Amino acid sequence: MENAAYVGLSRQMTLRRELDIVANNIANADTTGFKVEQLLVGAEVGDRARNAFIRPGVSFVLDNGVGRDYGQAGLEQTGRNLDFGIEGEGAFFTLSDGAGEAYTRDGAFTLDPEGRLTTQGGAAVQGDGGEIILDRSLGEPAVAADGTISQNGNPVGRLSIVRFDTLAALEKGGDGLYRNASNATAIDATDVQVRQGMLEGSNVNPILEITNLIRIQRAYESVTRMIENANDLSRRAVERLGRA
Amino acid sequence: MRALRTAASGMSAQQLNVEVISNNIANMNTVGFKRQRAEFQDLLYQNVERMGAQSSSQGTVVPTGIQIGAGVKAGSVYRITDQGSPTQTGGRYDVAIDGRGYFQILLPSGETAFTRAGNFALNGEGQLVTDDGYAVQPNISIPQDAVDVTISKTGQVQVITAGQTEPSIVGQLELASFFNEAGLEAIGDNLLMETAASGAANVGTPGEVGFGQLLHGYTEASNVDAVAEISALIIAQRAYEMNSKVITTADQMLSVSAQVKS
Repeated sequence: MENAAYVGLSRQMTLRRELDIVANNIANADTTGFKVEQLLVGAEVGDRARNAFIRPGVSFVLDNGVGRDYGQAGLEQTGRNLDFGIEGEGAFFTLSDGAGEAYTRDGAFTLDPEGRLTTQGGAAVQGDGGEIILDRSLGEPAVAADGTISQNGNPVGRLSIVRFDTLAALEKGGDGLYRNASNATAIDATDVQVRQGMLEGSNVNPILEITNLIRIQRAYESVTRMIENANDLSRRAVERLGRA
Repeated sequence: MRALRTAASGMSAQQLNVEVISNNIANMNTVGFKRQRAEFQDLLYQNVERMGAQSSSQGTVVPTGIQIGAGVKAGSVYRITDQGSPTQTGGRYDVAIDGRGYFQILLPSGETAFTRAGNFALNGEGQLVTDDGYAVQPNISIPQDAVDVTISKTGQVQVITAGQTEPSIVGQLELASFFNEAGLEAIGDNLLMETAASGAANVGTPGEVGFGQLLHGYTEASNVDAVAEISALIIAQRAYEMNSKVITTADQMLSVSAQVKS
């Protein structure tokens, strides 16, 4: 009899988690290189009660994982020559920080006092031959579509842009970084292009997210009402049986 | 409920964004002003179910896992140091830098500050100073009987004194450059200070490799693009509204739960 309440509760819990994810998407609607996420929800078929052959098993709601849409977001022109956007899905700049290798789509780079190309957070940007050192007195850096950086026509390095066979291997690490959570190897992405003076925006679709928000709220309300009704039913049953 | 805090982080991020944009718009006509841009990053993620974790004793693994983000934060607010357009003023001591570099200014505290604002003037002793009366480094004194002053592209200051036909050199303007200009700290009054992030100043002559040229009779306008700022403002406002909508929704869901009849 309590099954209805438990099934309802399983849905309420996934809805809350979904709301958390939608809230994170909306909060990051303006975050450079952010990729939208979605909770993947499925049915978990529970075991049948031992002596009730005629009744089907109860299905609970279970969240199986978070799907991430690595689709390309629009490139926004910033006009700053150390801002880079990747045109091409699923490819990343390679970084190295205290915690090892990291990957990012956020190409708002800067130079540290020694002239190393780093992220705004200080992680060194990796080129084909290790870190990239720029001496700005040699001229403004120009970046070709394949990631080659040159100053005054002389190549000084090439941005290392990689992709993975399975994007599911990546884990978000905050600060716009992704980390490799499996033993998948990064392969050189030769099919993507780097755009200088551009930054990739967030691929969150605000209208879709607001619609999700409404759907989650309404679903939550109706599940709550279902739990109330089930509760009501059992209360009335107890009252009636008590009278008999 | 995490969604409430997540949306609150989104609202405060957008508020910061509006503050940066409004400062840019307010300084649209400030000489030598460089626009700033707020860059956002996602906050930490909580691993509810770690990807790659074993999902059965048969060695199957969770393919995607569940990671829930905690919102957004300002990653950095950086200065975009691209060139502002030179504006002809005809001012006798107005100098614009076309290219890289900063003028050096001696503060009353004895420290050196840096600026792109070249709207200079003379003080009572004939010394070249900023609007606030701080001396330009190296010191340049214009004789009292100077009839005409010329500042060359390479920073040579020449004057023609009364009764003379040949100009005489009275000083040489110098520029300072940095590895990481975005790391300079703004202290107001169009002045910037050197920091550990910017690296040490490298002083040179205008027109040398790595330094810009000087334009006499011009000042550098701010590089704020009004159209871009206004559209950024609209985006920021809408993003703020959407985050407040999340708060409303989360609140209403909580209230639904709180009102369940038992």
